[in-house]
Amino acid sequence: MAEVEKTIEIAVLRYRPEKDTKPVSQTFEVPFTDDMSVLQGVQYIKDYLDGSLSFRWSCRMAICGSCGMMLNGEPKLACSTFLREYYPGTLQIEALKHFPIEKDLVIDASDFIDKLGSITPYIVPAEPRSVEQGEYLQTPAQKAQYDQFSACINCMLCYAACPQYGLSTNFTGPGILALLHRYNADSRDGARETRMEIVNSEEGVWGCTLVGYCSEVCPKEVDPAKAVNLNKVNSTMDYFLRFFASGKGAGK
Amino acid sequence: MSARDPYVRPMTSWWLKNPFYVRYMIREATSVFVVLYAFVLLGGLASLVKGETAYNAWLASLANPLAIFFHLMATAAALYHTVTWFRVSPKVTPLLFVGGYRVPDGLITGVQYVIAAVLYLIIFTVAWT
Amino acid sequence: MVYLLSIKRFGYNQQKSSLTYPLETVTTDLVIIGGGGAGLRAAIAAAESDRSLPITLLSKVYPMRSHTVAAEGGAAAVTQEHDSLDYHFDDTVAGGDWLCEQGVVEYFVNHAHRELVQMEHWGCPWSRRENGRVNVRSFGGMKIDRTWFAADKTGFHMLHTLFQTSIRYPSIHRLDEHFCCDLVVEDDRVQGAVTIEIASGQFVFIQARAAIIATGGAGRVFRQNTNGGIVTGDGMALAYRHGVPLRDMEFMQFHPTCMPSTGLLFTEACRGEGGFLLNKDGYRYLQDYGLGPAEPSPRNKAMELGPRDRLSQAFWHEYQKGNTIEGLHGAYVQLDLRHIGKKKLLERLPQIYEMAVDYQNVDPAESPIPVLPAVHYTMGGIEAGRKTASRLPGLYSVGECSSIGIHGANRLGSNSLTELCVFGKVAGEEAAAFAKSAPLGAAGTLRKLAKEIQQRTESIVSNNGGTERTADLRSEMLKSMEEGCGIYRTGDGMQVTCDKLAELRDRYKRVKVEDTGSAWNTERLLVLELGYQLEVAEAVVHSAIKRKESRGSHQRLDGFEERDDENFLKHSLAFYNGDDAPRIDYSDVSITKSKPDVRAYGAAGEKAEQKNERSDNG
Repeated sequence: MAEVEKTIEIAVLRYRPEKDTKPVSQTFEVPFTDDMSVLQGVQYIKDYLDGSLSFRWSCRMAICGSCGMMLNGEPKLACSTFLREYYPGTLQIEALKHFPIEKDLVIDASDFIDKLGSITPYIVPAEPRSVEQGEYLQTPAQKAQYDQFSACINCMLCYAACPQYGLSTNFTGPGILALLHRYNADSRDGARETRMEIVNSEEGVWGCTLVGYCSEVCPKEVDPAKAVNLNKVNSTMDYFLRFFASGKGAGK
Repeated sequence: MSARDPYVRPMTSWWLKNPFYVRYMIREATSVFVVLYAFVLLGGLASLVKGETAYNAWLASLANPLAIFFHLMATAAALYHTVTWFRVSPKVTPLLFVGGYRVPDGLITGVQYVIAAVLYLIIFTVAWT
Repeated sequence: MVYLLSIKRFGYNQQKSSLTYPLETVTTDLVIIGGGGAGLRAAIAAAESDRSLPITLLSKVYPMRSHTVAAEGGAAAVTQEHDSLDYHFDDTVAGGDWLCEQGVVEYFVNHAHRELVQMEHWGCPWSRRENGRVNVRSFGGMKIDRTWFAADKTGFHMLHTLFQTSIRYPSIHRLDEHFCCDLVVEDDRVQGAVTIEIASGQFVFIQARAAIIATGGAGRVFRQNTNGGIVTGDGMALAYRHGVPLRDMEFMQFHPTCMPSTGLLFTEACRGEGGFLLNKDGYRYLQDYGLGPAEPSPRNKAMELGPRDRLSQAFWHEYQKGNTIEGLHGAYVQLDLRHIGKKKLLERLPQIYEMAVDYQNVDPAESPIPVLPAVHYTMGGIEAGRKTASRLPGLYSVGECSSIGIHGANRLGSNSLTELCVFGKVAGEEAAAFAKSAPLGAAGTLRKLAKEIQQRTESIVSNNGGTERTADLRSEMLKSMEEGCGIYRTGDGMQVTCDKLAELRDRYKRVKVEDTGSAWNTERLLVLELGYQLEVAEAVVHSAIKRKESRGSHQRLDGFEERDDENFLKHSLAFYNGDDAPRIDYSDVSITKSKPDVRAYGAAGEKAEQKNERSDNG
């Protein structure tokens, strides 16, 4: 906070459930230096201008996934986006799109969390092995099949980018489908069939119309659109395999 | 009795609010031209079955300025659709590795442009000769 | 509504209270406060030890936001043929300047490998060798490469693996985004906790037969630190207020390679992969501080792979000599990764690469990264034995909030991620066993206590007419801790900080809260956190001023520059003393196999090791 040089105008979409019937914009003048993140700007507001402003944050280094917000209409992590990028214009900040607003910049994430819990998000061993037998072998090539999909920090920017999720929260959505694929693509796992039921269902990959914005906004290069659309291929193959399998059965 | 009262924002005209969405909607809209063009071709096929006069009438109708305008629009739409499709096609391609390196998305898109160019070249050469 | 249903589903008792006096009650057997790596590991262990035991896991953030997520480098366990448990033991004990509980360290090194394999079975994406086995890397102060890693996001992967694995166990009932205000202690044992459901502001009393505190460290009592905003020492303060001492709090670890201004961490793995530390002349200055000779590739326990306390202290000396570079945010030195090459940097240190580019506009493959030491880890914490139990029956602690005794006066990098696995399991099993043997307390009495806690808390956070701004109190505390309790300390400097903290604690009584709402009122939480921070900070500086010697991360310049085993081979214990300064006492250190010796690194260290081996053989 050395050498305050400039002042940026930040318009925050406020919503205080006990006071407001709908969100209203409030503008703050925030002094900043070139190395200040948007998060630091919002913290300045809370510390010195209006203590009632609410937002989530923690690590400050784009790994905990707390501080996703709409910055001039784009979903971004506030901690790794800088105020200088918006100067001299006004920076508009709004809670992540497509989620209900709890208060100010805080959204209700319970739908995301419930979905995360619903996709068997853990290894169901393909073959049992005791800890005493040591680790499962997994070559770097096998690991590379799921590596990028395991990098998701659950920041939910991709949900704020996905209009299909905005139109219907029944859609499982990009991040969780990427996580699902992370486990399906892991050589140690044996629960693919269980998860394919979710992939094939109405709420699964077919809810995606390949807008592709999810992968654009992902801060960790997870490429959820890829995970979803790869599974459209998998789902189709699944369908035909089942079709032929049942056809054979009927022929007997 | 809870202090909570989550506010759900409406989705009205969502697709106008982000250039990315606008481009997406245009991509989806191009399918209308593709369908219409399919009907035009179908009409041509039907006239061919009916006989030479009908086919010539169909050909003549294509020379109408309105028809030419439609074909220009349809070509633009098809090109736009092709470009966007090439761009998203890496999303349906399985993870490819060559010598331990991941094949980048850009390369997959690039290869398709090359294939398309070669095909056009062949078609034009055949049509010309 | 979801909340009510989920409670029913897990067989909890739900008593909806009247509107005039809102306090919900949840009855469980084991409450775990903190949903980071240690809390999750404990929850899984408790659930595995008895599938029918109801467990409530409280966390003030969603578990995957916990600060375990930011750990980068890796987790240590003896893995290679030419390594041995004794080596890991010796590295840890000498690294901790002999203030470690040696029996506990022995248990730790014995169980380390097993627990990391367990993490592998649960899906943790450890980096691999070509043959499919888990790979290991070098780390500071470790004689042999034994640090398991998942690129440079090891904590992130461990936390997400534990969180997602915990979903397998239906007996683990999570209360996410619940802020813990106090423990309920009755009949001289812990019988629950009072929390605020952050979304609604609703107070919830969780009645339990045993509790585990796993709330992480207290790095946020210092200005420049690597920690997330949530690392405010909550659990330490909770235990402390109930008479459990905070042990060895004067030992705060400064990590030598952090980002100027924000304090963000550049993992030690940067040096494990071969990075150099350079002063303003491009000189590898560590060779001047008993860590040499400077060799082109990293040798374990030498130069850049020396322990963190020594490296941070060398920075201070370079600053005194005028060999650092002056930047916008103070003096810095350079972390040079250029010779590692872009390909390997992207494979082994992708996050570091991204951080340097995004936050500092530096391409590490092209130019060195500006770095300086910042507070990183709280070695001390809630006093706990090998089985994680505190002196208060029913209260267990694990992870950074706990002082179980493996870090001593200086933690070795990559020991803490392993710690949360090894002792998280112990804590879960021990607390579950205690919960099963303890009778269920009288609900009426406990509820009355809980209501008192609610009233007390409300009176702190609803002072709309207060005069003191939270942010001012906080920034004065941070500045004072940095000035008086930094890498090098003096009695006078620490006394100023002691006085300042006493003043701040008094002013805290008049703290102002602007937000009068109940839903998502984070201003209230910041005020409560500040209360925790001030008390923990006091424990740190009062423990420090009384330790009249230099050991590990506690270094003095006022006539106590040497280690003094005669008087201070002891744990310090800070006892809560109401509004007054803490009472400081001492306890013995368990020495089993390793007698205190000179801590030597670099060439001197190797010579000493050879001598020791000869005398062992002879």
